[in-house]
Amino acid sequence: MIAEAFVNGADGIMVVGCHFGDCHYITGNVQGKIKVGLAERVLTYVGLNPKRVAFDQCSSAEGERFVKLVTTFNEGIRELGPLGTGDRLELPELKERLPIARTALAKEKLRWVVGKFTVFATEGNKYGEVFTEHEMWRTLDTIVMDEVATHEILRELGQEALAVTDLANRLKLPPPHVLRYVLALQRRELVDMVGVDGSSPRYKATDRAVQAA
Amino acid sequence: MSKKRIIVFGGDAAGVAAALQQAEAGMQVTLVESSPSLGGELLPQTKIVDGDSPFLQPDLEALRKHPNIEVITNAVVVKSMSANGKYTFQIKRNTPRVDMEKCTDCKECIRVCPIHMYDDFNEGVGFRTAIDYFNPETAKWGEYNIFKEDMPICQATCPANLNIRSYAALIADGKYAESLAVIRQRLPFALSIGRVCPHPCESACNRGYVDEPIAICALKRFVADYEMHNQIDPPVEVPDHFHPEKVAIIGAGPAGLSCAFFLAKAGYHSVVFEAMPEPGGMFRYGIPEYRLPTKTLMHEINWILSHGVELRCDTRIGKDTSFEDLQRDYAAVFIGVGAWTGMKLGIGGEEMEGVVDGVRFLREANMGKKVDMKGRVIIIGGGNVAMDAARVSWREGFDEVHVVYRRTRKEMPASPWEIDAAEHEGIKFQFLVAPVEVIGDKGRMTGLKCLKMELGEPDASGRRRPVPIEGSEFVIEAENLIAAIGQRPDVKFIPEDGGFDITRWNTFAVDQETFQTNVPGVFSAGDVETGPDIAIRACANGRKAALGIARHIETKRRQAA
Repeated sequence: MIAEAFVNGADGIMVVGCHFGDCHYITGNVQGKIKVGLAERVLTYVGLNPKRVAFDQCSSAEGERFVKLVTTFNEGIRELGPLGTGDRLELPELKERLPIARTALAKEKLRWVVGKFTVFATEGNKYGEVFTEHEMWRTLDTIVMDEVATHEILRELGQEALAVTDLANRLKLPPPHVLRYVLALQRRELVDMVGVDGSSPRYKATDRAVQAA
Repeated sequence: MSKKRIIVFGGDAAGVAAALQQAEAGMQVTLVESSPSLGGELLPQTKIVDGDSPFLQPDLEALRKHPNIEVITNAVVVKSMSANGKYTFQIKRNTPRVDMEKCTDCKECIRVCPIHMYDDFNEGVGFRTAIDYFNPETAKWGEYNIFKEDMPICQATCPANLNIRSYAALIADGKYAESLAVIRQRLPFALSIGRVCPHPCESACNRGYVDEPIAICALKRFVADYEMHNQIDPPVEVPDHFHPEKVAIIGAGPAGLSCAFFLAKAGYHSVVFEAMPEPGGMFRYGIPEYRLPTKTLMHEINWILSHGVELRCDTRIGKDTSFEDLQRDYAAVFIGVGAWTGMKLGIGGEEMEGVVDGVRFLREANMGKKVDMKGRVIIIGGGNVAMDAARVSWREGFDEVHVVYRRTRKEMPASPWEIDAAEHEGIKFQFLVAPVEVIGDKGRMTGLKCLKMELGEPDASGRRRPVPIEGSEFVIEAENLIAAIGQRPDVKFIPEDGGFDITRWNTFAVDQETFQTNVPGVFSAGDVETGPDIAIRACANGRKAALGIARHIETKRRQAA
């Protein structure tokens, strides 16, 4: 939903939850904080300024605090200016990449991992290993990179068949990395080879991948 | 008469071909492969080269159908024995983590698996997911598995298997108390080990391939120092009720105190007998003050003792109390007396005044014994004890300190940073020199006759053996000599008719799981079990021995009931 707002032209999003321990759904605000954190990371990765996403806590009785939070956030966004100024990427490019963040955040992979976050950080995994928040975020960071690259590749290959080098030029990623992603996608039957151009094969997204998107 | 049996290791194209060939020749073949799937090295993008036939594809179909071939995947050989022209192998099969009866090969798990890892099965050509079918050709036979990494390499390398990944990450999160608690699950000596450990974990660290290893040892020292410098009282967590049995521990060194600490955690009181006037063992009397200050060490030892551990210093077993008394009065006895006897050089004139061994020299320096320290001193040896002795003697006021080593700097077993520091401080090194004879006047040493060496063929330890150069004798004039060429345990305090299994290195032979000696109820760990080794190993084995002792006492209690 956060990415959706940016795709539709919002300049900033602030999520305000209850204080920890006050949640009607017991751990809803803990999960919420992590989810907003994840959205922030994905959006930052596609070129947004992380200051445009904020998570804060405030109870329904703290009117003054709420006003203060909103005013401060509003001032911060005003200083940054509209979407595309003060961000890592300029507007047309950013606009193009924001839907990738939306897809990545909507897909099951990131949602499942983020759902396991609190479990792994408190109770531990099936092998009884408890991870620190730092480690969880570090793992999530690599998954975010993976997911964004994967969805970028799938989007390009969904439109036309491309060789790895052309794909790498378009995505501004090193060709060896792109090759790995493409091969991994091929293993999952989301990308298939459709022809050979001289010595380099051309890949295209499979029907399954197009349908899923 | 059964058929001849043949075992083939490795299920790549060559291994499969060999297995097929042997099976065709009428042999009973067993094929063992470490990954869950056959046909490693099969490159999935071989389609690029040729339309339909991947060039490395082994004939898996034939392999599966052949009646004479048994395939064991996801398994490694742990032991091989040969006798009477026959080989016997012990094979360990790794845990299968996918129920193949339920798997329908829909590949849905692979599509959503969040872990992208180096594809070791395909030599890193692409990514692989944590759950994977490895070889697409065999996927339909059901060779899915979840690949779970073992311990991180640092944790596996550490003798104590400290959970380094967690405690380093907790420091990154700023959770120092939690980080220290993780360390103390397996090691009570965070302050001391953080200072003196030669950190094999850092040598193994994968980050070293990128730039520098993670400074694991310094991180440990940092959290421990943080607690000490901020006057935070370290938590003392012991069970509410202790068991009635008591354990006697001989030697208040790294092994003995670790053992006492973990016994207290398990609910057993122990009495630690120490021959020296103060506890700490080699931490106190072997490691110089500049590497591990006594005040710091005592801070840590006092904390360990506050777990309900009784300490009796100045009590030498065999003199003040007999070993049999301990065996009679206590439920179990732990021997952690270390290796305190310096090895003799085995050259002439060694009994002369001015010649001393490394550990004794360090012990006396640590006890503050003042001796006449002037003139020149020669240190023989290239280990960390030699470096400590050299740097201590330089601090004690010798005019010149020479380290004599019979190989070159590259072969020195001492930690490289210790060698660098010693050189930086002004200690002189003489490489490829071996002592021949101590020369002296009226029983007082005046010099050392040496021989120049050159490096020959590598010996059993993999280091090049020094070979003497004929007629190259020369004399180094010096008034003192410290021989730091190794130590041995002294086990004379145990009764001769005790029936202990003592190895030819004067160490106890113990069970490597429980650390029990061949005499029931007597356990041993530390240098007296391993021979001279690093402190962290003594701590690690002391902990294992504590668990062994607890188990031993419980078994006895159950048998009595």
